Amino acid sequence: MDKGLLAYLLIPLLSAVIIPFAARNRPKLADILANVTLLAGLANLAWLALRPSIIRGEFADIPGDGFSLLLVAAVYLVALCVTFFSAWFIEEGLPNRSAYYSLILVSVSAMCGVVTTTDFFTLYVFIEVLAVTSFALITTDESGAGLEGALKYFFLTFPASALIIIGIAVMLMSLGSLSFESLRFFMASDLPAGPVTFGAALMLLGFIIKAGVVPFHTWAPDAYQGAYAPVSAHLAGIVTKVSGVYAIIKMATLLRFFDGRAQALSEMLMFLGLLSIAVGALAALKQTNLKRMLAFSSISQVGYIVLAAGLGTPLAIMGAIFHLINHATFKTVLFLNSASVEKSAGTTDMDKLGGLEHTMPWTSWTSIVALLSTAGVPPLSGFWSKLIIILALWEAGLKGYAVLALLFSIVTLAYFMMMQKKVFFGKKTPAAESSPEVCAPLLAPVVLMSGLIVALGLLFPYFYVYVKMVAERILL
Amino acid sequence: MTTHNLLFVLAAVFALWAVMAKKLLTSAIMLALVSVAVSLIFFDFSAPWAGVFELSVCAGLITVLFIGAVSLIRADEDKRPENRAFAYALPLAAAVFAIAAWFYLPPFFEELAAGRQMAAGGGTIGTALWGLRRPDLLGQVLMLAAGVFVIKSVFPRRTENK
Repeated sequence: MDKGLLAYLLIPLLSAVIIPFAARNRPKLADILANVTLLAGLANLAWLALRPSIIRGEFADIPGDGFSLLLVAAVYLVALCVTFFSAWFIEEGLPNRSAYYSLILVSVSAMCGVVTTTDFFTLYVFIEVLAVTSFALITTDESGAGLEGALKYFFLTFPASALIIIGIAVMLMSLGSLSFESLRFFMASDLPAGPVTFGAALMLLGFIIKAGVVPFHTWAPDAYQGAYAPVSAHLAGIVTKVSGVYAIIKMATLLRFFDGRAQALSEMLMFLGLLSIAVGALAALKQTNLKRMLAFSSISQVGYIVLAAGLGTPLAIMGAIFHLINHATFKTVLFLNSASVEKSAGTTDMDKLGGLEHTMPWTSWTSIVALLSTAGVPPLSGFWSKLIIILALWEAGLKGYAVLALLFSIVTLAYFMMMQKKVFFGKKTPAAESSPEVCAPLLAPVVLMSGLIVALGLLFPYFYVYVKMVAERILL
Repeated sequence: MTTHNLLFVLAAVFALWAVMAKKLLTSAIMLALVSVAVSLIFFDFSAPWAGVFELSVCAGLITVLFIGAVSLIRADEDKRPENRAFAYALPLAAAVFAIAAWFYLPPFFEELAAGRQMAAGGGTIGTALWGLRRPDLLGQVLMLAAGVFVIKSVFPRRTENK
């Protein structure tokens, strides 16, 4: 475990324990404590990332492989946006207000554990903590949909946990150790790789289910649609990306140690990635509910990351890492905006919405920035990550995959344009007439994230150097 | 030998309690205690890795999952009347098993003790928990915290529904 990043795990846990006691008589104190904890962590990370040596492109001070630090920053950023948004979104009388914030902070700790560990079993333990907190957070919505979403999440992701633990057991029997490094040593020997490959395949299957990759995606739309609105942003923005997608990238980089002996696994990952891109995009075209459409879009975007991870070349891994970070930014904006629309108009049914740009201009414009980035329109951040992935596919001679990835990027633009037209453009519907713009604190997180999307796109050369360093450290 | 005899009896008592309890929550907690006793037996037989995994997965994770599932059931459904005839037969079955165990378990434990001597050097509880699997302990603390907050988050509404 990366000890340099341990504080980012321990401090939210401490805050999570303090909140129920401190906020017993003053519920608003829970909002303040959660936000201050995450803001302090983010300020610390900014201080670490903005050192003169790092700006000069010297990354000697970056702990570990640099990937952990990048993801810890993404976890804190998305969680801060969600808690800040929740502070103004949650109704005054919510009985479990402090537990809600404590659960978000525990999930932040668990995510930091997932991205800093170097051991398969510890990875499993933290992923399970994340599953338990996600399950409880989904049920924050007291409606039947929330419960249904939680149950589907429960029943589909826990068999995945069983697969992961069986895979870990097979690994332990073959490797005699559970550390990621032991795989490297094992492959250097001449021992038969069959059992280890089998264990890796079981683990990968578990992570694929947790990431909501097609054909194991059925839990994701129900969970995202049924969950409490800010929780959807937390889940889609970062939780499923860390518990599933990050683990897939990690496994894919480890599979490189197999030196071609796990080619079938890599090919399977690439095929499922492309299938996710296609099925997610085509299903998103048909949706009439905004949150459900965003859920299918999320499945499609995860497909790009899985496709790149399966390819496993340094350029592809770079694209996967960058797209993972980008996905956290634009999906948080889109889900938080859907929460604002739900709060203001009282529905997320796109057939009942229309003309919201007149009454909710800030929500409309930030949505445009996020959707253009998701579709890969230059010069926004999503363009660069998709370009890297498509270039990596082309360079590897997989021209069919590259062309299809590009084509479905156009489909992404199409369904998002349809969404924008239905929800924000056109004539005002009766629901839009009485839908004022949400208050400034609810807009602040989405404006911040939209600014980040633009900044990551415009400052890409600087960010490219960092991501390149991460890919090199992971693969060497 | 006395320690694991005691632990074995404790595990059996907790298991019996888990099956006979009227409340699902009590059953879940008793099942966790069974796992704790079993993991201590593993430690006692010089199998610290098995002990650590039993403690992590069964006593920690599975219990939190059970508590999460129980929290989704409304309080009134938890107390639905049921035929408990089997529960009264259980102590009788346990008594029969205890008599059989009196004769058969000591030689079985002797055999296990021989295995313990072979496994000696695999590490103590302290080495396994604090040396080899320290990050897992952190995960366990997180799991425990998550369990407490799940109860705090979902249970108030469970009572309100009633």
